[in-house]
Amino acid sequence: MTLANYPQVLFQNRRPDRIATLEEYRASGGYQALAEVVGRRSPREVQELVLDAALLGRGGAAFPAGRKMMTIAADAPFPRYLVCNADEMEPGTFKDRVLIHADPHMLIEGIAITAWAVRAEKAAIFIRPEYENAARILEREIRIAAAAGYLGRAILGSDFSLEIVVHRSAGRYICGEVTAQLNALMGQRPNPKQPPPYATEKGLWDQPTLAHNVETLACLPHIVRNGAEWFKKLALTPTGAGTKIFGVSGKVKRPGCYELPIGVPLSEIIEEYAGGMLEGSEFKACLPGGASTGFLPRQHYHVEMDFDALKKVGNRLGTGAIMVFDHKTCLVAATLNLMEFFARESCGWCTPCREGLPYIRDLLARIEAGEGEPEFVPMLEEMKTHLFRSYCAFAPGAAAPLESLLAHFKEEIQKHIREKSCPFKKEPEPGVAGLAKPRFIA
Amino acid sequence: MLPKEIKDRLEAEIRHVEHPRELAVDVMFAVQEHYGYLSDAALAEAAALLGMTPLELDELATFYTFTFREPVGKYVIHVCDSVVCWMNGYASVRDYLCRRLSIGMGETTADGLFTLLPVCCIGYCDRSPAMLVNRRVHGELTPEKIDGILAKLRREAESGAERPKVQGVDAITG
Amino acid sequence: MPKLTIDDREIEVAGGTKVIEAAARLGIMIPRFCYHPALGSVGACRVCAVKVLEGPVKGVQMSCMLDAADGMQVSTTDREAVEFRRYVIEWLMMNHPHDCPVCDEGGHCLLQDMTVSGGHGIRRFPGKKRTYPDQDLGPLVQHEMNRCIHCYRCTRFYQQFCGYRDLGALSIGNRTYFGRVASGRLESPFSGNLSDICPTGVFTDKPSRYFGRRWDYQRTPTICINCSLGCHAVTSVRYRQVARQEARMSAAVNGWFLCDRGRYGFFYASLPGRPRQAAVKGETTTMDEAIAHARSRLETLPPDAIAVNGSARSSLEVLAMTERAARLKGWRGPAFFADAGAAHNVKTAIARLEEGLAVSLGEIGQADFILVVGADPINEAPMLALALRQAVQKGAGILVLDPRPVCLPFGFMHVPTAPEALGAVLGRLVKKSIGPAGLDGPAARFYASLPDEPATGQEVLARAAGLLAASRRPVIVCGTGIVASALVGLAADAALLLTAAQKKAGLFYILPEANSFASGLLAPPESTTDRILKAVVDGDVKALVFVENDPFATSPDRELLERALAKVELLVVLDYLDTPVSRRAHVFLPTQTLYESGGIFINQEGRAQYSAAAFAGGAPILETGGSDHPPRVYGTGLPGADPQPAGQIMAQLAGEPMASEIGARPEYFGGSTVSELAELPDVEAFPEEGQRLSPKNLPADRFKSVLPPSSAAESDELEIILTERTFGSEDLSSYSACLETREDEPLAGLHRRDAESLGIREGDGIAIRTGNTTLEFAVRVYDNMASGVMVVPRLQRLPWQGLGKRVRRQDIRKA
Ligand SMILES: Cc1cc2nc3c(=O)[nH]c(=O)nc-3n(C[C@H](O)[C@H](O)[C@H](O)COP(=O)(O)O)c2cc1C
Ligand code: SF4
Ligand code: FES
Repeated sequence: MTLANYPQVLFQNRRPDRIATLEEYRASGGYQALAEVVGRRSPREVQELVLDAALLGRGGAAFPAGRKMMTIAADAPFPRYLVCNADEMEPGTFKDRVLIHADPHMLIEGIAITAWAVRAEKAAIFIRPEYENAARILEREIRIAAAAGYLGRAILGSDFSLEIVVHRSAGRYICGEVTAQLNALMGQRPNPKQPPPYATEKGLWDQPTLAHNVETLACLPHIVRNGAEWFKKLALTPTGAGTKIFGVSGKVKRPGCYELPIGVPLSEIIEEYAGGMLEGSEFKACLPGGASTGFLPRQHYHVEMDFDALKKVGNRLGTGAIMVFDHKTCLVAATLNLMEFFARESCGWCTPCREGLPYIRDLLARIEAGEGEPEFVPMLEEMKTHLFRSYCAFAPGAAAPLESLLAHFKEEIQKHIREKSCPFKKEPEPGVAGLAKPRFIA
Repeated sequence: MLPKEIKDRLEAEIRHVEHPRELAVDVMFAVQEHYGYLSDAALAEAAALLGMTPLELDELATFYTFTFREPVGKYVIHVCDSVVCWMNGYASVRDYLCRRLSIGMGETTADGLFTLLPVCCIGYCDRSPAMLVNRRVHGELTPEKIDGILAKLRREAESGAERPKVQGVDAITG
Repeated sequence: MPKLTIDDREIEVAGGTKVIEAAARLGIMIPRFCYHPALGSVGACRVCAVKVLEGPVKGVQMSCMLDAADGMQVSTTDREAVEFRRYVIEWLMMNHPHDCPVCDEGGHCLLQDMTVSGGHGIRRFPGKKRTYPDQDLGPLVQHEMNRCIHCYRCTRFYQQFCGYRDLGALSIGNRTYFGRVASGRLESPFSGNLSDICPTGVFTDKPSRYFGRRWDYQRTPTICINCSLGCHAVTSVRYRQVARQEARMSAAVNGWFLCDRGRYGFFYASLPGRPRQAAVKGETTTMDEAIAHARSRLETLPPDAIAVNGSARSSLEVLAMTERAARLKGWRGPAFFADAGAAHNVKTAIARLEEGLAVSLGEIGQADFILVVGADPINEAPMLALALRQAVQKGAGILVLDPRPVCLPFGFMHVPTAPEALGAVLGRLVKKSIGPAGLDGPAARFYASLPDEPATGQEVLARAAGLLAASRRPVIVCGTGIVASALVGLAADAALLLTAAQKKAGLFYILPEANSFASGLLAPPESTTDRILKAVVDGDVKALVFVENDPFATSPDRELLERALAKVELLVVLDYLDTPVSRRAHVFLPTQTLYESGGIFINQEGRAQYSAAAFAGGAPILETGGSDHPPRVYGTGLPGADPQPAGQIMAQLAGEPMASEIGARPEYFGGSTVSELAELPDVEAFPEEGQRLSPKNLPADRFKSVLPPSSAAESDELEIILTERTFGSEDLSSYSACLETREDEPLAGLHRRDAESLGIREGDGIAIRTGNTTLEFAVRVYDNMASGVMVVPRLQRLPWQGLGKRVRRQDIRKA
């Protein structure tokens, strides 16, 4: 990995095949920030600091973290809760897992600082079941942190107490959506819940609740320690702030997680860090921020990976999970796969998502199988628009890849329909009976 | 009936929290771990521990991916079929597994050892194509690797080893 | 008060009103599936989309989730919104089985209406339909999951609104399933409402399955008479058969729903065995001949050798005519109550329901603290439990003081209290929750008379007293079934005291039967069935007339009844039911049910309500035609139409002085001794929500109730509490075959301490010897009931009449 160009903040203690210990974390300045704020800086000061640092949520929605914290009023009732969203179910995304495995105490300290900033005395880390390893690491390190006085009663001699529990999910994408997650935490069906009231007013058990993504929380110690200006300057773009963990996957030589400044060009990530495209592959498009962002076509290959810059090209930075597709990959089929995912995972609460997605999936499957009709295209276009009228942000997320397929790759759809077959299929898909020779990593 | 030590442990955990329901998933996992799946009787037992009705717990059990309301094999193989694994050979992995196990997706081998299921992105896209065996991840799959995994599981089963628990902190790499 | 425009029409609504409701006020019916006024907005179905042209949020919005705002401009006809709604319907119809021809919802199906009006006429979805297996949910509700459109109304109603926990949403996505873990009878006594609440045909009414379309039915607004609450219903009749009952919205009484007892309690009206022909000595004859025969026999007897018994299941018209006939002729009675205790409780309740104190069932939901004394809501007046739950959902605290193991579908405080101690606990609680400050005169004296020694170890009471102290709109709910007579008045005085303490206090009684209020108004003070039966045994009474009264179901003393019936010379029975006493009648005169005659019932809060006649009477065609329609035998009369309103028959039995009054309704009450009744409007002009009757004068015994002495001494007896059950106790609904499986097991309830001292364990059988009968029960042991009592369900199929009021411990043996 050639990372020398850029400072490593969240990954400063990342080593191959090892988890940073408490000592290692402390040696890198860990828990100084906590000591600096707890009992010393008012919650309001910390909130303002985070606001000044222009930290945007890293869970996908990019909401200013400081602003969200400030919606918990100073006189809001107690107890208050903090939820760390480690569900990471967005296809293509695996940065939170890597972060937890690299340096769990950074997250723990981030949680403690944020809890202080809203005076939450109980925090839950909501983690997907596939991350059992990470869950156990966190449970172990939480105990270690508590023994060292960073958690538990009267933290660092202050009057502040914090208990962190690790809550295992049993797996569903919608559980990552924060209102659904709160229901899941309470043992209710994880359907989302539209505000008002907002979670920060009435969340868990109707008490004020703040929820943040793992990566967002992990930024907190650094912002406290180095200041808002420093954090903002980490970014390469004037409106950006901080670094971002980009998880690159797909048709690249070195898939993996790379911490890079906000605003680093996409082409640089792919070529410098992800090792470039696979032999014989050409960049066709990527999903720049997880499955609920749109296909970014070749013409934006050099886009700066920054919230604003991606918005300008009609896309989103999302979770920064970059999935790279090459010229041999059928994007109709890729979209079909994504729709399959969204249709399967829809919570089933609202009609556009529950019924619209299977409808879209069916039409795409027909197109991909060479049974498409020209009138499917306007239907897809209309339904894509209507997906934005769903109850929560799930269906709009599902609409994003479809929308971009229609916007940038309509000709590819038309070709399927005209030719009554998928132009990308050179050999028949091996049957389930498994007669054909398995064809791995194409 | 659950063995006393499991029941006692769960009861103690439930006593410890303010709202028993928040432990619904943990209790379902523990009960499932013991019985292999959540039969109606197991569901009712878990619900009783939580002070919920079986229906209330079933509303959750049937919602989630990793709670099984039907019998599954000793080893549940979840093959990731989301977009990155899909483009990196999911279909071949699936077909290879189907052939080696002589079952289709959603089925269990006659010896009760393996159940094959598709699963959404499991967060190991950097190591795709990937699959889970009893929630333990195996990435960068090749036919040889799959054969090795299956052989090891068969040996483990033959040796009469305990039903494998969900993975521990042995593979720590991120 | 925001003012907004919807489709260019302006309307001003209260703050917090949703746009969907504001539009409804303009007569614009915005499509909806998940929205229901009783269940509120959840924004799930998305079919209520409108376009907001001006307002805090613009564009396509869900009108059920959107608060009306000042200056808002809304279009329901905007192309974008219409187009979206059309898609929503197309999506919902993707998997729908299109089985309207065989669906009982067809014809009154919201989905049908929306599909047509939404413009989704042609199926485009080329894929397969998802299908589901159905479940057997018991005898009341039919399940057809393929018709589901996932509006979540059923589970929101079943779980959130009613508090039952055996039906819900299972699975996820477009596989979401609404049902139970497995097939089985629905546990909620409100389950029938699922048929009303489901906007399509997933849950339909099982007993009336395949019997008719909505337009086939004669549909009539009626009043439920299966308990004293008088909920509003719609009755559907087809082929001269009462086939179905649905809830009718009433803000003052039942809201949107009905309990299953009321919904399915009508089957007596069209039972194949219903007696429809007059009979003299077992031989059928014409009505005129039978009446003439009875009249001539009655005329041979001195008037005071004739005694009349009626019951509270009769309409006000019947009761009034019965009372008038007896009064004019000098007959004894009429007795409308089994014994003095029952009569006294009802009469006290009526007298104490002064204006300003009495609250309606609807108002219960607004209370912020409710004290339930000597009442078991779910069993005695099921819809009351639902109203209480609505109050609880809004934050009200509920304390139940009752000896029975009361079970309610929400969290509440319960202090199991022996019947004789109820008054003392109530008094102490009220006293503790208010101070003496500001009280004077009778209120102050009454306050001082209440006990104030602290209850030892009763932290629940202390907590309740705190909540009552903090409450502003408390309500006292008082039962009249199992309580001592002093308690009824005490409850009223307690409510008055709370009023004196500056609270807006309410009083709510539960009465034993549908028309107990009217019975109490009309019954002469001294007349009770037990006295009349004694007079027969003593030889003073020679003739008994039973008007819609089955003493076998109501008299606590079976032995006395048998002796009286054996001795009486003339037994005249007027009824529409086939009862043990009608079978023994010397003269039997068939009467009309409420569905045929219509009539006024006065509910427990004094609300007189008119239930219209639902059809002209006559036997069901399926019965007369041998299920072969049209009948092959022709005649001019309506088969099976002999029955007459019991009031008319009574007028004829009384003879000339009353014959002119037959059918002239206002005169029914004109000569009444009860002045309140004279003010009742004509039935044609009866207000939808009824008319409240309240005592003309302030009750004389305000603040005069005295606490009964508490007999705390441990006795060697157990007090027997005969208690009503939701199903199986009430007379009329016990004729409904579909409710049979809803009945509880006849278990005797004992407190753990008593059970232990008797060496009895849960599930043991016991035999109780009282007098010369022995009854056997299985025992259920409770911790949440009073000790020193035994709770026995008063089920129709249980010969509880032999039990008496107390049982000696040594007379209880293990069976
Ligand atoms: C369908 C859906 C799935 C989501 N999944 C996740 C997730 O897995 N992890 C996450 O952090 N945020 C997820 N989010 C975003 C959360 O709702 C929320 O915005 C975020 O956790 C807030 O944290 P942040 O402000 O730190 O970004 C999801 C949102 C939606 C609509
Ligand atoms: S968009 Fe609707 S169905 Fe989809 S996840 Fe959100 S609430 Fe559930
Ligand atoms: S009625 Fe508004 S979303 Fe269903």
